[in-house]
Amino acid sequence: MKANKRGTYALIYLALAANVVLTLFPLIYAIASSLRSDTEIFQYAMPFSWRTFIPVEVTFDAYRSIFGEYAFWRPILNTFIVSGAAIFFGCLVNAVAAYSFACYEFRGKKVLYLIVLFSFMIPFESITIPLYSVVDQFGWVNSFAGIIIPSIADGMVLFLFTQFFSEFPKSLFEAARMDGASWAQQFFRILLPLSLPVFVTAGLMIFMTHWNSYLWPLLIARSPDIRTIQVALSDFRGAHTTEWARLYAASTISAVLPLLFFFPFQKQFVQGITSTGIKG
Amino acid sequence: MKTKRLAAKTLPYWLIAPAIVLIALFKLYPIMNTLWGSMNVDGGLSAAHFQALFRDKYFWESFWVTVKFNVILTPLQIFLSLLLALLVNANVPGIGVFRTIYYLPATMSTAVAAIIWSTMLNPNNGVINSLLSFFGIDRQPFLTSDKQALFCIMAITTWIGVGYWMMFILAGLKGVDAEVYSAAKIDGAGWLQTTLKITVPMIRRTLAFVLISDTTINLLMFAPMQIITAGGPRRSTNVLMYEAYKSYFVYADKGRGDAIVSVLLVMIALVVFLQYILVNGRDDRPARKKRTGGNAP
Repeated sequence: MKANKRGTYALIYLALAANVVLTLFPLIYAIASSLRSDTEIFQYAMPFSWRTFIPVEVTFDAYRSIFGEYAFWRPILNTFIVSGAAIFFGCLVNAVAAYSFACYEFRGKKVLYLIVLFSFMIPFESITIPLYSVVDQFGWVNSFAGIIIPSIADGMVLFLFTQFFSEFPKSLFEAARMDGASWAQQFFRILLPLSLPVFVTAGLMIFMTHWNSYLWPLLIARSPDIRTIQVALSDFRGAHTTEWARLYAASTISAVLPLLFFFPFQKQFVQGITSTGIKG
Repeated sequence: MKTKRLAAKTLPYWLIAPAIVLIALFKLYPIMNTLWGSMNVDGGLSAAHFQALFRDKYFWESFWVTVKFNVILTPLQIFLSLLLALLVNANVPGIGVFRTIYYLPATMSTAVAAIIWSTMLNPNNGVINSLLSFFGIDRQPFLTSDKQALFCIMAITTWIGVGYWMMFILAGLKGVDAEVYSAAKIDGAGWLQTTLKITVPMIRRTLAFVLISDTTINLLMFAPMQIITAGGPRRSTNVLMYEAYKSYFVYADKGRGDAIVSVLLVMIALVVFLQYILVNGRDDRPARKKRTGGNAP
């Protein structure tokens, strides 16, 4: 029995490790490239050797340059401000609406829900021009509000919450309602603690949307003091020349920073959070 | 008393109001503008944009590239992310580190991932070809061949997407009661049997979410094509959304762009509608009953 379990562990770790190689290969290549000088960058790709992955002369010039002359910390900070606000309001607005869709019956529910589903099928590139004029009328051009507010109601996030909330047995809320609990009490005291993994995934989803968005911030937030990270990143990818080492350095930072947030939050994915809650 | 009852009746509407108002303002109104643009020539209602589009051989070529891309990519991504989610659902020491590593590609912007992969896949001095020749395999043209380019982009987007969708499925798996597994184990069910007969039906709603979202995102995806291949070589990666993007921002032909987007929206709506009915089910499903039944105190 014990040997069997050890065998299963070995198999799991083998599969895990194999996929780590596949996942990290391009990333290690990018990190190695970020530590090279611009001249060395393509020199050792061919033929394949240890030099392909380990820079011959390690230089931190690219990092020094992007944080020095390019003040890269500013767009990073801006993106954190934008995504922080968007996560807070996005989770609240979409989860409350999803709670209503999942736990109440009301006239017109199906039509309204169809509208929500339809809203995330809209390709963003096709609505940028009319959207710009809407945001302009509110006077939000060149402001954080112009980036944050149009993104708060997100059909996909709402859909995610609704799918999860529908799994809860109706009796859970009926009992609370009998006891005279208001919707807010039901939402914050019952639903929220039972759905932490969903809130984490939704939060990540919203965070990644803003961390990766390029076209909209480029249009709506042009001034340097509110620029977000992808817009700043595109500086290194000019029309004719690409500053490879800087681009790789900035890309490495843009890929690794979100993980600092992801790692502590993934602990919320503990087996049985929801089920023990329902039983209690 | 009467006002209280009225308040209870309108409560569901108040709860959805903020989301619906914001969606109407920032999504529906602009898309109505686009849909109107596709049916409008010089201020009058007209099907001219669609007629021109349906006669256009580049449109049909692009349509079939889109179909090919999505029919292969979406099932592949869902299958791999389900597999990965089942793997990182294992309670072994250090699993958090693995989850974090797998999520890493999703934290990269598509632009950055596309640039890294296109330099790695460079046929002349790319690291992938150098790895292949290290193992004695011939150099491949990859993104410069009209036979391989679309598949390369599928591989790149799979690399980006699988860890992302894995997290959603994992969140769904965490909602499955551990007792169900132990019950299945006692009944002598093997891993494959437990997965197919119990786990997958139990996370049906999560899978429906992932399937529908992934389908939508993939049907609208064009950033890798724009950055890496510009739709080439020989238009082999020229998906519809890229064609629409070019109509808007390169050819400055808004009517054509609007018409392509309208066609895309109809395609997505049809596919998603089918998926919703098939996977999500209309109402309560047996799996849920089983679950609540199993949880009864």
